[in-house]
Amino acid sequence: MEEKEKQFVLKRFSEYYRKANIEVPSVEQREFGVGGFEKKIESRHMGFESNAALQNYLIKDTPLYISHSIAYYKFPKATPMENKGWTGGDLIFDLDVHAGLFLTKEEQEKVRGDAMRLVEDFLLSDFGVKKDSLKMVFSGNRGYHVHVRDPAYRMLEGEARREISDYIAGKGLDYRSFFSSPEEDKWKTYGPKEGDRGYRGRFYRMAVKVLEENPSAIHRRLLKPGEAALLREGMRTGLWSKTSIKDIVERMEAVAKMLPVQCIDVDTGVTIDTKRLIRVPGTLHGSTGLIAKELKSLDNFEPYRDATAFGAEPIRIEALQPLPAQEFLNSTMEKLEKGEKKEVPLSYGMYLLLKGAVTLSS
Amino acid sequence: MEFSFSSKYPFTSEAKQKVEGSSLELNDEIMERAVQRVVAALKGEKEHAYRLHPSDELIELGSYAAARMMLAYLKNRFLTGRFAVAEAKRASSFMRSDSEENIRKLGEELEITPSELEGRMVLPVSQYVSFSPRSVDYRLIFRNVSNGFVDVKRPEVIRLMEEAVRIKMESLKPVQSPPKIIQEYSKKLMILVPKEAVMKMSFKEGDNPPCIEKLLEQARMHQNLNHQARWALAVYLLSKNVAMDKVHSIFSNLPDYDEKKTKYQLEHVVKRGYTMPACATLLSYGICVADCRIGTPLNWKGKVENWKKRKSSSS
Repeated sequence: MEEKEKQFVLKRFSEYYRKANIEVPSVEQREFGVGGFEKKIESRHMGFESNAALQNYLIKDTPLYISHSIAYYKFPKATPMENKGWTGGDLIFDLDVHAGLFLTKEEQEKVRGDAMRLVEDFLLSDFGVKKDSLKMVFSGNRGYHVHVRDPAYRMLEGEARREISDYIAGKGLDYRSFFSSPEEDKWKTYGPKEGDRGYRGRFYRMAVKVLEENPSAIHRRLLKPGEAALLREGMRTGLWSKTSIKDIVERMEAVAKMLPVQCIDVDTGVTIDTKRLIRVPGTLHGSTGLIAKELKSLDNFEPYRDATAFGAEPIRIEALQPLPAQEFLNSTMEKLEKGEKKEVPLSYGMYLLLKGAVTLSS
Repeated sequence: MEFSFSSKYPFTSEAKQKVEGSSLELNDEIMERAVQRVVAALKGEKEHAYRLHPSDELIELGSYAAARMMLAYLKNRFLTGRFAVAEAKRASSFMRSDSEENIRKLGEELEITPSELEGRMVLPVSQYVSFSPRSVDYRLIFRNVSNGFVDVKRPEVIRLMEEAVRIKMESLKPVQSPPKIIQEYSKKLMILVPKEAVMKMSFKEGDNPPCIEKLLEQARMHQNLNHQARWALAVYLLSKNVAMDKVHSIFSNLPDYDEKKTKYQLEHVVKRGYTMPACATLLSYGICVADCRIGTPLNWKGKVENWKKRKSSSS
């Protein structure tokens, strides 16, 4: 990007910050890091006394990227890290999709659906996180960040966080481990039962569903109603060996195949790193010019419509590569050939400029 | 006569208060007990080997405190690690037959507070993941988890408490200039510690990828390795045709080393013919430390040779 374009971008960023309302909880206990056109984090170990000081910085010394520590520190600006005095940290989940220049509609829906399931099925349901300690944020680029500020999880070390992240991602999930046969009763097979929770419960409910809807997927013998009822009765109390099917555990493979669908591909590296810096909610993402927007609900959220920061004022650009037609700001942006010049809405132009797909044109 | 809560669990605040409230002074008797305590830990002797008569409670507590002071002064990770494991095992042997009341009291101190929910014993997820041993049986993924609680059984709670004690024992406040008697007995202690026990490493490193180097380094520093790390290291070394006794000697550096168990586990690795896990798997275990792009640690040598070739052809 040329110097005048860099200036153009930063001036618009600064204007955005003049009007924005950036509020970081416990701002004085956070470490900050900022980045520019070369690197997303060029310097860190920064700190702000108040949100007003932070906002002032954003207006005057506008960075392209700004992140804050998930951790709380006694001395956020101290170096090296050991001197900061770690006093805990938010639990963070990062959901991302690999995408091209734009997220396709399918990619948007996939990652949004995953974020919703992460919140509903795992954080609220399994982990008992209080709704008001959850913050859902569009990352500003290709996914979502979920911040958990529940004091119960604040003091966890990296390894403990990994256990939670692995749980959500289903790492090492082998359904066979749900089943066991006691030494003294080798012919009996015990497994998940009614009322079980976590993945055991999920597995149980899926098994019941398959047994009801497509029993032959497990074993042809289950087409006989008596046999199916016998299995169902045993399952209820966790005794899976009630029928004449000896290899019932192996037979459940058909059900187990559906289990990974219920897991969520969270980025473990982010969750386990207790010193991680994460995009400040409400600030702009330097690779897109979109707002890392905090969301009350994920329903119907569309990033290219709901996270734009600069409106539709026209700017003139020149395409450096062929650009497909794209939905943006509630309308369809036209396809452009390489070298073609055109006036486009500012939000869209900024996105393309920051992605390196266009230059400003006179 | 019953052992008091404090002598069973000398790391608790109740025990600490007892020592501080008494006129107990460090003397030769206490110091000798303290040395004995550390040496017993080092030899992996059973926990009762250094139990005193219950009436000697203060000596018992004093010897524990003195042992900790010596370890803090010596800053020897190997000794500290072995002591932590031994004290944790000692405490858990008491816990197994202790009263509900005492277990609850100890649990509060260790921040492991099980409760009853609809007839089940449950533990907050955050407590569970902080202290669960890294073995398959305890993986959260196979557990009943809901509403922020994990279902647990009493023996499991005790196992978690044992781990909490071990972690507590591993953190020592540094002591710069302790009382003279501590310094003297620390010297005596080091004489009693067999030299090869402190530095048992017998493996020429160099040809290994960064993740394996790190595990070897941790072993050399007598740091604890979790189950997956041990397994990965064993499979790697054995796949590289490192002799069994050499592999064994590397594992003997670990703070909870047990000769029989290690032998059994290494033989198990050979018998089962485990193959080296892919880098992606090691990444998920938190073992991977660099982006080598070699697929599996076993490809490291080929990568290094490629580098050398490229270097020599470009120069």
